[in-house]
Amino acid sequence: MTDIKDFTGCSPTWCPGCGDWGILNSLKQSFVKLNLNPSDVIVVFGIGCSGNMNDFLNCNGFHALHGRSIPNAIGAKLANHKMPVIAIQGDGDCYGEGGNHFIHACRGNHDITVIVHDNRLYSLTTGQVSPTSPKKFKSKSTPDGVIESPLNPLSVSLLSGATFVAQTFAGNLSHMTDTIVSGIKHKGFSLINVLQPCVTFNKVNTFKYYLEKSYKLPTNYKSDSFKEAVIKSMEMFEEKYPLGILYQVESLTYTDQLNQLKESTLVSKQRFTDFESILKEFK
Amino acid sequence: MDFTWRIGGEAGFGIMTTGLFFSKAITRLGLNILDYVEYPSLIRGGHNSYEVRASDKEVFGFKPVIDVLVCLNEETYLKNKNRLTQDSLVIFDSDEFKLVSKYKEIGIPFTKILAELKGSSVMKNTFALSSSLALLGAKPDVLNNLIREEFQRKGEDVVLYNQKFVSKAYEIIDKSFSKYKLNYLKDSKNAEKLVVTGNDAFTIGSVIADCRTYYAYHMTPSSSVLSNLAYLQRKTGMIVRQPEDEIAAINSAIGSSFAGVRSAIGTSGGGFALMNEAVSLAGITETPLVIFLASRPGPATGMPTWTEQGDLLYAIHSGHGEFPKIVLAPGDAWEMINLTTKAFNLADQYQLPVFIMSDMYLSESHKSIDKKVINDLIKVYKVNRGKIITNTNEKKYLRYKLTNDGISPMLIPGFSKNYFQANSYEHEEDGHTTEDNIMRTSQVVKRNKKLQIYLQNDFNSPKIYGDLKESEIVFVAWGSTKGAVLDAQKILESKNKKTALIHFTHIYPMDEKKIIQLFNGVDNLILVENNSQSQFGKLLRQETGININKKILKFDGRPILADDIIKNL
Repeated sequence: MTDIKDFTGCSPTWCPGCGDWGILNSLKQSFVKLNLNPSDVIVVFGIGCSGNMNDFLNCNGFHALHGRSIPNAIGAKLANHKMPVIAIQGDGDCYGEGGNHFIHACRGNHDITVIVHDNRLYSLTTGQVSPTSPKKFKSKSTPDGVIESPLNPLSVSLLSGATFVAQTFAGNLSHMTDTIVSGIKHKGFSLINVLQPCVTFNKVNTFKYYLEKSYKLPTNYKSDSFKEAVIKSMEMFEEKYPLGILYQVESLTYTDQLNQLKESTLVSKQRFTDFESILKEFK
Repeated sequence: MDFTWRIGGEAGFGIMTTGLFFSKAITRLGLNILDYVEYPSLIRGGHNSYEVRASDKEVFGFKPVIDVLVCLNEETYLKNKNRLTQDSLVIFDSDEFKLVSKYKEIGIPFTKILAELKGSSVMKNTFALSSSLALLGAKPDVLNNLIREEFQRKGEDVVLYNQKFVSKAYEIIDKSFSKYKLNYLKDSKNAEKLVVTGNDAFTIGSVIADCRTYYAYHMTPSSSVLSNLAYLQRKTGMIVRQPEDEIAAINSAIGSSFAGVRSAIGTSGGGFALMNEAVSLAGITETPLVIFLASRPGPATGMPTWTEQGDLLYAIHSGHGEFPKIVLAPGDAWEMINLTTKAFNLADQYQLPVFIMSDMYLSESHKSIDKKVINDLIKVYKVNRGKIITNTNEKKYLRYKLTNDGISPMLIPGFSKNYFQANSYEHEEDGHTTEDNIMRTSQVVKRNKKLQIYLQNDFNSPKIYGDLKESEIVFVAWGSTKGAVLDAQKILESKNKKTALIHFTHIYPMDEKKIIQLFNGVDNLILVENNSQSQFGKLLRQETGININKKILKFDGRPILADDIIKNL
């Protein structure tokens, strides 16, 4: 049995009251619930306030480039598909800089869990707008307000083929933990969009805002209905935020479909040595 | 014996396959070959051509005269007639056009015969190829065997159908053109040789070196590495993946390498531009990575299907910030196999990105190489992973431990109770982020140190061909221009002009002292490069102070040939 302390690294440098504290606690709690050791998991971190978690969490960590943690995570998964691989990203990181990777990871059903700290801003760089900032949001980079409509992470992931799509709220630790546990357990691509208030730069999407506008999916909600999930995902545009697993289906993962991995992980396999069979192709 | 065969025709009609069949047939008959393809960036239309030079000795380059020209259309004849002599054999469709000068004419009414045999227009190739081999004196067996190997999976009918055209072509040549028969291939013997391009060679090298993941977003001229390895993965067990873009390709490779397997990527200039940020990531996280960079003329989209040594300095300076990397440039297909296997060891031993530089000419030209040489390499090759470990006895494992040689033990995750952070930020020995001035300095010094150790232990000085002190001219070249210079040297030797070549394969970093010593007292240097800005010349000057004034540079998208060198002396 592991303890939450086993996963505790350096002291976080986040602002007091930031939603990231809660996400870190929930993630550690999830690892304990799943009975994992720090050496059992690979976590790839993007760049931003969220990515700084690399220093605060004990695990096999890879602090990547901005926007690129998904391809790093996919690469790690292919090398050792028996290990849980998690990507920690921000909204700008995942949906902006890394948007292309995000879409294609969904359709590949790569068995990784992507946890997005969605504070609807770039906060480490002191508050520029991100792809999920609400329309007309005023920031340092948009003094007259954002012109574009926000990207809808839940709809995009659903339409791109993700097999697990969930949303949770940084103000609700137990809900977050349950969602993260389900996401890691899910075989296939999981997106967990965490509504994460930035207490320093986002005066619109606050804890209070989400407490008022979010609601838990009812217990009789059927998460295997794609149509229902798409409808739910669209509620963001009416400022309604469903919390819970919007969609989950079983489907073969990317690595399930690789014959190369039927017997062993790639990293543990014996070296291939039948070179004669390769050379004869070039006669 | 030394002859050149060239075939040309409209793109989309199987010229490439036909050319490769010719190269393979000639090699199986015991000769050595080197070939070269020209094709526009089009699927249909446009002009394709395939040239093969064959000899009983090793072939290094191409010559001006074409001995056998196969014209599948008139354009082929018009484009190449200045390379023909009255002894050249010209195979063409006598119903389609007339030749304007005197050659050994092999006028065959292809279209008419194809119609009689109910053959599609693609069969013109088989017919022309058979005619060529018949004229050169080869027995039909070699071609019939190749056809069987290639088409057997499509069924016996397809094999027999193709072979029908072989018989017909041999019949026509024997009946009407036997006076022109060259009989070059009459006393043929079977040899254990392979016919490989530079891309094939990288493929073979990476398999020997136990590369386990290869990621590439296809880009000419690197693409056939992707298709080769993808085809072979059923046997090798390698995971070969074509992701959404080049950024994903390199980052996935870094992820796989972090998780413990040998990984490589392949691309050309434009794709490599997208990968740059992650080259820097491999640098600071000290993640082993092999980068296959096959150049074509840039900038931007440039000339996709042509050749240039235009990305050398770009590769050397790639990635923001200061970090070590190693750049190797093989001179031919055999060196490509050898250096590729070395690159994977270097990447692991020094935990950094290692480049294999190629270009369209090296990547897509086939060369025959002795299979024995490869088998000898396989026998002696050891997968050396340096300080990559699966467990450690140390109380606290330090991923970026400050060591005397700058190389820290690299733990593969998941095999022990240890864990660590790899970090794209500057970091402490344990991987945690730091902005401390002393640790920053120590980590930079540590990373740079790795190249000093490389220079001591693994850097190979340039290879010298000829005698430096006895030569009137000393050529300096790197990578794929090697063959052309060797070819020029042979021609110059026959004119009693003694020359030497200093050929670099270990391009960066360079051992300043060793190079200065080697160049000491050597005069009459001529730099040969397939680019316009003499990039290697600049590098040599930057690293050693050696300045070469006389340069032979070619940058029209075509490879440098011996003729280009001799004419510009």
